[in-house]
Amino acid sequence: MKTLLRSLGPAAAILALAAAPLSAQFTHYVALGDSLTAGVEGGCLVQRNQLASFPAVLANALNQTDFQQPLVQELGLTNPLVGAPCLGAVLSGSSITVGPISQMGGPLNALLARPYDNLGIPGANVGDLVTLTHGNPNGGSTAVRFSALVLRNVPGSPFDGMNAVTEANLLGPDLITLWAGSNDILSAATAGLFLPGVTATPPDVFEDNYAAVLENIAVPGRTIVAGNVPDVTAIPFTTTVPARITIPGGSVPVLGPGNDAYPCEPVAPDHGCPVPDGTLVTLPASALLAQGIGVPVALGGTGQPLPDGQFIPPATVVPGVLLYPDEVAGIEEYIADYNAIIAAQIAGVGGAVVDINAIFDDISAHGFHLGGINLSTAFLSGGIFSADGVHPSSIGYTIIANAFIQTMNVELGLEIPTPDFSHVLFTPNVPPSGAGVRGGGEWHYTLGMWRELLERTGAARGFSIEMPSASAPRPGRGGPRRVVRD
Amino acid sequence: MRQRHRVRVPGLRLALMAAAAALLVSANAFSSGFQVMTHGARASGMGLAYAGISGDPTSVFYNPAGIAWMNHFEGYLGVNFLTRTEGELAGAAPFPGSGALETMENNWYFFPDGYLVLPLTNELNVGVGGFAQYGLGLKWDNPNTTFTGQFISQNSVIQAMDTNLNFTYRLFPELAIAAGVDYRFSKVQLERNQAAVNPFNGAVVPVAHVKLNSDLLENGGWGWNVALMFKPVQSISIGASYRSKIDVDYEGEATFTQRPTGNAALDAIVAASLPPGNPPVLTSIAFPSSLNLGVGIELGNQWLLSLEADWTEWSRFQSLAIIFPTLPGRDIFRPELWEDSWAYRAGLEKGFGNWAVRIGYYYDNTPQPDFDVSPLLPDSDRNVYTAGFGYNTERWGFDLAAVLLKFKERAILPPVPQTDNYYGTYKETGLVLTAGIRLAL
Repeated sequence: MKTLLRSLGPAAAILALAAAPLSAQFTHYVALGDSLTAGVEGGCLVQRNQLASFPAVLANALNQTDFQQPLVQELGLTNPLVGAPCLGAVLSGSSITVGPISQMGGPLNALLARPYDNLGIPGANVGDLVTLTHGNPNGGSTAVRFSALVLRNVPGSPFDGMNAVTEANLLGPDLITLWAGSNDILSAATAGLFLPGVTATPPDVFEDNYAAVLENIAVPGRTIVAGNVPDVTAIPFTTTVPARITIPGGSVPVLGPGNDAYPCEPVAPDHGCPVPDGTLVTLPASALLAQGIGVPVALGGTGQPLPDGQFIPPATVVPGVLLYPDEVAGIEEYIADYNAIIAAQIAGVGGAVVDINAIFDDISAHGFHLGGINLSTAFLSGGIFSADGVHPSSIGYTIIANAFIQTMNVELGLEIPTPDFSHVLFTPNVPPSGAGVRGGGEWHYTLGMWRELLERTGAARGFSIEMPSASAPRPGRGGPRRVVRD
Repeated sequence: MRQRHRVRVPGLRLALMAAAAALLVSANAFSSGFQVMTHGARASGMGLAYAGISGDPTSVFYNPAGIAWMNHFEGYLGVNFLTRTEGELAGAAPFPGSGALETMENNWYFFPDGYLVLPLTNELNVGVGGFAQYGLGLKWDNPNTTFTGQFISQNSVIQAMDTNLNFTYRLFPELAIAAGVDYRFSKVQLERNQAAVNPFNGAVVPVAHVKLNSDLLENGGWGWNVALMFKPVQSISIGASYRSKIDVDYEGEATFTQRPTGNAALDAIVAASLPPGNPPVLTSIAFPSSLNLGVGIELGNQWLLSLEADWTEWSRFQSLAIIFPTLPGRDIFRPELWEDSWAYRAGLEKGFGNWAVRIGYYYDNTPQPDFDVSPLLPDSDRNVYTAGFGYNTERWGFDLAAVLLKFKERAILPPVPQTDNYYGTYKETGLVLTAGIRLAL
């Protein structure tokens, strides 16, 4: 039957779909993407959160009972940590901040004889879905390390040499969700440095990469549903720390080193300049501000500027915590370009696009309301984002799954049932018994946690990270060096 | 600036305090929207089709022109007992989910009504009435534990007590007109829990109970009414009664009571965020105008047929705004966008000497759009069946009636937008038992 349908082309496939009972709309669903598809929360990938990934919720709604994911064991905290930490809210004195609450352990589902249905690779950008053919659990970029877990494309494995697209095709799915592209721009936000070709994929490259993925997965009889790229300047990582310090009777800007668009000429005793309106200060700045960095001397600070991202040739990124308005505009322009490319290419293969960007813009502005419960994008208290400030929470992933479902129902004329939020809203999402919950002590969004996040979001690909020193670099006219990598 | 309506009539205030005390909780909304039409046991037995009927003090409510032919001082005192025999919500995804089954509290509620008719001359009569034309009482079971709608509404109460003074004049033996003024005392009480996300585990928890309450006797608004009744022949009476809109601006107070979560750090943050004391709260309700058109036909041999069509201007209820003047950012605005509605009523009475038996039926259209149907007020079209009997002489009488309300199931399911994103199918049935005594001097 499938052969006959393929020979008759997409029109026959659509007719067959229309005639099929609702429960049999799709026989096999596979998800392609990055950490947002994998189900990363709190900076780590563990079973507790993978079971709430948006593909898992969608698969459940599609009644696909054998939806397999590369599940990862969650371990209690050890000293030192043996796996990547899972962040959660912890007490710091009388205030709530972020710290490790558990850590990643080993794979739980590594012996599955077929590729996983959830092929989301944390750290992967669009190009990685076709170029990443060899994973390494012990080295390389985040995407390379997670490729070893998700694709199992390591020596000795039957999947050695395979990329994500190849493994997806092996499964013969009739539905693929493709939500990729966030890591092509996210590094610009997490590193505080918008540098095309280094922390941001140029749109022409993005276009080629996206086309390469689509030409390998778009086949007759298969439905492609893509998510577009959310605004990474509107996530808690970039919106939580205010760019102004509140003082009696008003507020003053934090200090930054300036950049080419906003040159800085410090006035003693400060060594930095007030950041212009529209500057975003990222979460790691909270640890620096607590040390007085970025705070004018007159307000009891050090007068040192908060670090801005720098690139040191040939391949070193010194991350910063500031996104100046020109960088914010550059990031938003790139995202708009990416999303135009996604819309055009998905339309070209007859697929549907879930406008995640617009949905999260709306949620940022108005919140998300369910039964009198008001959720928002606020850090830790909003309910939609997890403790890393970048990835959604389980509630957030359910919102995303619902967005996919509603788009599919409208665009494709389906009747996939709406997911039930009641469980995810009221069920505590904490490490299972045996995983320790750490409380007390002085915890902030530390530089170490920041580095983990930077590596996870892809800034470590192809270049090294040199964390800013405690004494932030003094700016000169024109700000830090920014050199576009060859 | 919101205007506050108050009256200070000592005697009236005392009487109303007694009446308010009798309104133990509230009248349920057993006509469309939150309208209450059950007044007088004779009318109730006849499907509330009473705008075309005359000769009974309860006409002060249904059609004041109908008292124009009365030539004795007469009084009527009625009691009304209301209950929901069934009230539930079967939940649906996305929230509260298909596993949720919520039930409405089905206590018995009680409200009285009373009317006096005083003939001044052969043509001029005065009629006074005390009744509750609007009211709502909806309390959900398990409001602080398992009720999934607890963050929308646990308990919603609207009490409205009208005092209505009418003058009627018989222009001709066949035609009477009436005009009156109405002051509506009213209160609003809303209760719900406030939710927050526990940052330590990502789960939504109730962190506070919020109660908004206004005083019945401190808030009210003026209205007016006109009516006519025409008896072209002895066996037919035609009536029309119009009651104006009434706007009530409420001043009340809010009470925020913390609900411990078991997490000291979260509780400390919540405690710091809750306003102390009882901050003032303001709201308004635009009560609709209404027009009742009815005809009564004596069929002979003590048969009486009554037909009626009622229009209610529910389109006045466009929004519900709750303002906290001292708490910026806490204001609540709910679009309501109700539509005008019609109800169609029919009643039949058969007399056996001084005894009479009655049956009736009416169909009432809901004014509430789908998006607004929520635990705060889930309204629905309804079929209503009534029956009653009574014994009446020229000087006294009593009547009893029962009213059975069968609400249509109302399914609010995605992708239909709903203000609270709270979905499911509402079912409700209700019962009203009413009794009254009439005395004439």
